Amino acid sequence: MFKGAFSIWGRDMLVLKRSIISELVSVVAYPLTLYLAFGFGLKGYITDVNGVPYPLFIAPGLISMTAVNAAFDESSWSMWFHRKVQRTIEEYRVTPVTVYDIVIGKIFSGFSQGAVKGTVVFLVILFLTPFRIDYANLPMYLLCIALSSMTFSCLGTICGTVIDKPENIGRVQSVIIVPLIFMAGIFFPLSSYPASILPLIQLLPTTAVFEGARDALLTGTIPTHYLVNLVLSAAFCFAVAVYTFNRKMAE
Amino acid sequence: MNHAITLHEITKSYDGFTAVDAFSLEVERGTVFGLLGPNGAGKTTLIKILTTLMRPTLGDAFVEGHSVLTAGKEVRRLIGVVPQENNLDRYLTARENLVLHARLHGMRPAAYNPRIDQLLEMTGLAARQHDFPDTYSGGMQRRLVVARALVHEPRVLFLDEPTTGLDPQSRRSLWDHIRGLRRSMTVFLTTHYMDEADALCDRIMIMDHGTCLADGTAAQLKDAFSRAHTYQVEFRRDADRYQGVLAGLSFVKGVEREGSLFQITLADEESIKPLMDHLCGSDIRRICLKEPSLEDVFISLTGEKVRE
Ligand SMILES: Nc1ncnc2c1ncn2[C@@H]1O[C@H](COP(=O)(O)OP(=O)(O)OP(=O)(O)O)[C@@H](O)[C@H]1O
Ligand SMILES: [Mg+2]
Repeated sequence: MFKGAFSIWGRDMLVLKRSIISELVSVVAYPLTLYLAFGFGLKGYITDVNGVPYPLFIAPGLISMTAVNAAFDESSWSMWFHRKVQRTIEEYRVTPVTVYDIVIGKIFSGFSQGAVKGTVVFLVILFLTPFRIDYANLPMYLLCIALSSMTFSCLGTICGTVIDKPENIGRVQSVIIVPLIFMAGIFFPLSSYPASILPLIQLLPTTAVFEGARDALLTGTIPTHYLVNLVLSAAFCFAVAVYTFNRKMAE
Repeated sequence: MNHAITLHEITKSYDGFTAVDAFSLEVERGTVFGLLGPNGAGKTTLIKILTTLMRPTLGDAFVEGHSVLTAGKEVRRLIGVVPQENNLDRYLTARENLVLHARLHGMRPAAYNPRIDQLLEMTGLAARQHDFPDTYSGGMQRRLVVARALVHEPRVLFLDEPTTGLDPQSRRSLWDHIRGLRRSMTVFLTTHYMDEADALCDRIMIMDHGTCLADGTAAQLKDAFSRAHTYQVEFRRDADRYQGVLAGLSFVKGVEREGSLFQITLADEESIKPLMDHLCGSDIRRICLKEPSLEDVFISLTGEKVRE
């Protein structure tokens, strides 16, 4: 069962391993820049947010952002590339593996990329800055990141499956993914929103990702509604991704 | 059950346009079957249906008795596929490409490693097995795709234009491989090269617009379409006079002239005798029967116009 998915995931990890250094340099550069620019640049202006020092306030979000971005990136581009450019999906499809093997292998590849890259950014922030956490809170935080990477990997897979033109994947990223991430309060507390739209913002899956991750890392607990949101989003996106891929392949 | 491949009234339409039209076919096990047809005839569509990449709009097809509609996984276990366009993984080395394929077929390293060594040797790629396919020539990539299709020792091999873009040496060496596979597996190939079909195939089918136009061995096809008996006659002298004579003969269906060389198409086999009566033996330098080539058969069936 799912041996095929495991083989496809293994292929993606082998390829990742080959280019890991250059991948990591580029993936660490962005959140680290944001961390230094906002965390230190603005430190004199924003001392703390709800009692949390500003660099500590944004760090968990930056790590989560790296993980979910990497998961989305890998899943969408990889699916598109293997489907439209290399046509390796066709090669997989003439072997006894099923379409479920293929889509699940690909979703887990995106998830793994998110996990690896998020971990590295976490370690880098830990080494280079005075950012410190209580390690007892780590498992809860990791659960949160894992669920959200799963969601974004599935979203990426859906995009890579239904979108044929590469520029449209870029558009989805800049019009949907980036605003979702920034609106969810990585850099500012949700209490900055007018009370009228706050409930809507709180329903966004990304809010659950970033607020949940921050609460998990700083306090060790996730508010239940965020956890439920994360689990449901991941399960829903997984089902939609598998269904979409299956449909596309049956065309 | 002696048929490796059975197509039963297969129809495939792309919103309104019918690419394959109620196509039926049975291919005997252990033979090399060649499908010929101009661009857009529907060859690739048929291969995609048989390899479970595409579902037919109507009808069903069976590979070694397994339906492509309901037993796709069993079908895929038994087939090897060389698609029209190479689909190698350019981020994996040649050997890794073969290993991944073996793993997707559920093979274990102890089984696939010796097999891969053997195939790399056979295709002459052993020395370059740790290079990426991007650094290969077109012919080497093609051979790697063929090797990949053979890793799991399929019972039915589908080759969609396997030798397009290969130099004469590579083509011939690939033909030798394919001949070596005959009997141990069934080979279903498409090609645009008549000499290839002639040299390789036990049975040839010519199709166009999604339907079959002719079917048989190369010899049978040539025979069936040599009804128009064409002779080449070269005259020593009086070519102009003979042109007039030929024009007046009722059993001469066509005359094409190039200097003193005439191509004379006769109504039937018996007409050669009266023709000779009208020609003076000492005026003839050379006379010979023009054998139809498979290409003549193909052109006469599918027309001379280029497809858009
Ligand atoms: N995805 C598609 N959507 C619409 N029409 C298609 C599609 N794929 C193929 N066709 C049409 O179906 C017909 C048969 O195509 P097919 O690829 O089977 O031809 P072929 O015989 O393999 O040709 P070639 O020798 O050029 O490879 C063509 O007219 C083509 O335009
Ligand atoms: Mg074709």
